[in-house]
Parts: sequence; C-alpha cells; structure tokens
Amino acid sequence: MSWVIFAITFWLGAWAVNARLSNSALVKTRGGRLFVPALFGITLLVVWEGLVRGLHVPGVILPPPSAIGVRIASELPVLWADFRQTFLKGAVTGYVLGCGAAFVTAVAIDRSPFLQRGLLPIGNFVAALPIVGIAPILVMWFGFDWQSKAAVVVIMVFFPVLVNTVAGLAATDRMQRDLMATWSASYWQSLFKLRLPAAMPFVFNGLKIATSLALIGAIVAEFFGSPIVGMGFRITAEVGRMGLDMVWAEIAVAALAGSASYGLVALIERGVTFWHPSQRH
Amino acid sequence: MKKLLTSALFMAMASGAQAADDVTLQLKWVTQAQFAGYYVAQAKGFYEAEGLNVTILPGGPDVAPTQVIAGGGADVVIDWMPSALAAREKGLALVNIAQPFKSSGMMLTCLKESGVASPADFKGKTLGVWFGGNEYPFLNWMNKLGLKTDGSDVTVLKQGFNVDPLLQKQAACVSTMTYNEYWQVIDAGVAPEDLVTFKYEDEGVATLEDGLYVMQDKLSDPAFEDKMVRFVRASMKGWKEAEANPDEAAMIVLDNDATGAQTEGHQKRMMGEIAKLTAGSNGALDEADYQRTVDALMSGGSDPVITKAPEGAWTHQITDKALQ
Repeated sequence: MSWVIFAITFWLGAWAVNARLSNSALVKTRGGRLFVPALFGITLLVVWEGLVRGLHVPGVILPPPSAIGVRIASELPVLWADFRQTFLKGAVTGYVLGCGAAFVTAVAIDRSPFLQRGLLPIGNFVAALPIVGIAPILVMWFGFDWQSKAAVVVIMVFFPVLVNTVAGLAATDRMQRDLMATWSASYWQSLFKLRLPAAMPFVFNGLKIATSLALIGAIVAEFFGSPIVGMGFRITAEVGRMGLDMVWAEIAVAALAGSASYGLVALIERGVTFWHPSQRH
Repeated sequence: MKKLLTSALFMAMASGAQAADDVTLQLKWVTQAQFAGYYVAQAKGFYEAEGLNVTILPGGPDVAPTQVIAGGGADVVIDWMPSALAAREKGLALVNIAQPFKSSGMMLTCLKESGVASPADFKGKTLGVWFGGNEYPFLNWMNKLGLKTDGSDVTVLKQGFNVDPLLQKQAACVSTMTYNEYWQVIDAGVAPEDLVTFKYEDEGVATLEDGLYVMQDKLSDPAFEDKMVRFVRASMKGWKEAEANPDEAAMIVLDNDATGAQTEGHQKRMMGEIAKLTAGSNGALDEADYQRTVDALMSGGSDPVITKAPEGAWTHQITDKALQ
C-alpha cells in the first residue's frame, strides 16, 4: 500500500513542479524545455513501478520497469544480436530497397502517363495486401533468414513513399515549369533543379512514415518462421516462456530504434528542405 | 423440525442442480481431435451430469495457456509439462491435477534425402522447432546428444505451425506430432518411405504432454477442489468414450470447430493417433513419468530448462477423489 501512496504522492509532486515550471521563465531556456518532458517520463515510470508493486500485479501480466531495466542490462549481448538481425539487416535493408524502388518508380510514373495508369493501381494493390498473409509466403520464397523480412519491409514501405513522391513531383506550379522552359531546360535539368527539390517535403513525409512501418514489418515477419535470433522471434519465444520482462526489453529497444530512425530522417529533412517555410524557426 | 430439514435439504439439492458451476478450460491449440475427450464430455452431457457448465476456449499460435491462466482467463489449462514447470520456476505456481496423455506424440520428421539416418547425423543440419514454450523437449534432447543449438552444431529454425520448411527443403528435419503435422507432410505428397522419423518416446527423451493444470492457491479452496474433481471425472469419462468410439469423437470435434478449418478425414485419423497416446492413462499422473520428465528437463547441461527440482508441481488430490 505504501508503494501506491508513494506513487501517487510522487505524481502529484511532479505535476506541481511541472505546472510551476511551465508558467515560469525557466521554460524558455534549453534546460527547462528538456526538463519538463523528462520529468513527465520519469513520473510515468515511477507511477508504473509503484502501482505494480503496491497492487501486487503478477510479473507475467505487467513487470515493473525496474525488472525490465535489470533485464536490459543483463541481456545486452542478446538484445544487440536481435537488434542487428531485425533492425540493421531486415528493416534497414528493406527500407533502403523499398524507398529506393518507390522513388525510381515515382519518377517513371511521373514521366509517362502510361505508367501512371498502370503502376499506381499496382502500388495501391500491393499496399492493401495483409502482412499476415504475405509474410508466410515471402518466408517460403526467400528463406528463413533476414532476406524474407527485408522483402516484407519492402512491400510495407513501398506504397507510402511512392504516393508521396508522385504527389511531390506534381507540386510545382505551371508558372515555375514555364520559367524553366523559357530557359530551354531539358527534362532532366528541370527535374533535378526544380521539381525534385520542390518534391522533397512530400518525399520526406513518406520516408518518415516508412521508418516506423519498416520496424513493424521486420518484427511481425519474424512471427512466421525465423532463425533463433531477432526481436520478433525473441518476443514470441519469451511470451511462451513467461519471460515478459524480456518481451518488454525488446519493446523498449524497438521503441528507441523507431524513434531514433524517425529523428534521423527528420534531421536529414531539415538539412535538405531548409528553404521550406515549415523549417523556419 | 424434520419436515423443515427435508425441505431445506431439498432446496439445497434443487439449487445445486440449477446453478451449475462454471468452469473455463483453455486448450493448448485450436479445436481438433487432440482435445476430443473434453468435447465428447461436453456433447454427451457428462459435464452437465456433474453439475458443471464448462466453457472450452480454443487456443492457437498466439495463445500461451500459461499466460491465460496467469491473467485469470481460465480456471484450468491444458499444457505440456516442460512449459508448465518452466513457468512454475518463473513464479507462476501451476499444479498438474490430471494427466490424460500417457505418451508423447512429438517427433522429428526428416527427409531421407537429407542424409539423416540416426540422431548422430543431426550435426551440421538445419532443424525446425516450435517455440513459445514448445522448444523445451527439443533443447533437452539436443543437450543430451551433446549438440549445441547456437548454429555451431545444429542450426535451429523457428518453424511456423506448418511443415513448409521440410517441403521447401529449407530444413533437414521439422518438428511434427504423430497425430497432426506428420500427416500434413504425407498429405503434401511425400511418401512415408522417403521420411525418417524420430519419436521422442523412442529416443528416451519424451516429456509429458497434454495435462490439466490449475493455479496452486486455488486448490486449497474446497469449492474449487470439488469443482475440479467433478471436472476431471467427467473429462476422463469423455476421454475413454472418445477412445472407444474414435469416429464419433472426431465428428463431435468437427461440430465444435467454429472455424470450419478441420476436415473429417484428418480429424478421424488424428483421433486414431490420439487414442494411442491417451491409452493407459486413467487420468492420474504416474509419478515415474513425472520424475522422468523432471530428470530430462534438469539434465540440460549448461542450459537446463529448470534448475531445481520443483516441489508441489503435481497432486493426486483431485484424481484420488475423482477416480475412486
């Protein structure tokens, strides 16, 4: 019971501190801006820990964050091997291939009205395939290792990037394209100097959506047969072994990796589309 | 006074008959003849006769029975002993109250062309294994053979719940049950003479399969105990009935398959194989079988499935009363 009281007290205290901080001048500083969300996150963990301990929630239902932390610390080599298998091999390879293919396809579609009528519906069709249906088939085609997981990721990321890039390539207006024409710019000159830069905000939208899809795809694909390493494998195996703290450890790694890759793409976007109004601060 | 007592007694009996006790049973896998005894007991009214209202929850690839019972989703679950003992060591106090399956139906099925003729040939091969709690018997066997499963001796694949890795020749051997996946291989057009099978039972590494497990703390409640006594009695009656009339049992299972995925031929064949595994068990756990399972699980070399001999992991408390 004392754990529950402690958790509630901590929560109220942290709330009061955050409320005070948000209304003070301190929040304008860099430190203050970081402190408020950090305290919020810490409070969540403390309340979680306090309630799980205080209410005696069994570890197989919800382990306390401390147990998950201990597990992360003690299983670092396993977590790293899983991360390498699922994220670095499966997700990243699939992401690069899928986004690359979608980008090239989008340019081709933009070039030819024929492809526009033919390829876009196919892209649409592929996007509508349920992952639980295609994953076992791709495992049959490409084997158990990370190649089949990358193939699932390719299918998952292809469509959002394709649609966004096609929309982006249509983002320039008539006047701008006419101006390029008056300078007798070739198709490629006009593509590289005007239309691709103008498409970048759209392209990065697609790329950002694809980062989280890639990770989800790579993890879920491992549910349908895999070698005995990988984040998805570990999650299914540990659920059956009642190792829920390990499942949560993998979830934590996945969340971190997903946020980091999203952040990385957002950072690149900031550099590439520095001219766009949304990037002015 | 006497009249009052009789009427009170009568009322108690009447209410007992009316308010059937609810029991929720979580199966280890989807509705199939592997669980025929329970469906037969249900269909033939054996549960009803014991004053029970039994709900049978089918499992599936995403259902771990241990987790269901830990979350309070079922009163009694069907699980394999290695998984139940491993969960017990993790702090989930499961107790075996009855063991309808005497023998193990698990085996490794290999393609002859892969060059596997005996367990000595496993070295350097790729073997398909189920995970999610079903990997323990295999890991234990490999330990006994002295083969490392990290890829240096044998490469382990997590196989999905089908036999594709074997048909695709991605693995030399896959895990099969005598009553289910083995027949999927046969149905896929592979001739039995092209296959080599290793039954866990024959290799001396068999561990106890489908048993009934409940939470330990609930057993001290006399009402729960009584409910389980009646449940086990009716279930075993169902099992013996299923063994005696396998074809009828298979049809009852089919009637209960809400997914419509099972076929008559497959279920009848499965029931025939299942009857071989349940034969010889009256429901009471054989202590020798239990000890053999525990010894097997603890002999795991550097990575045993359980590290210390479990205490209180089984009881005859229920079967003694149910089977008298």
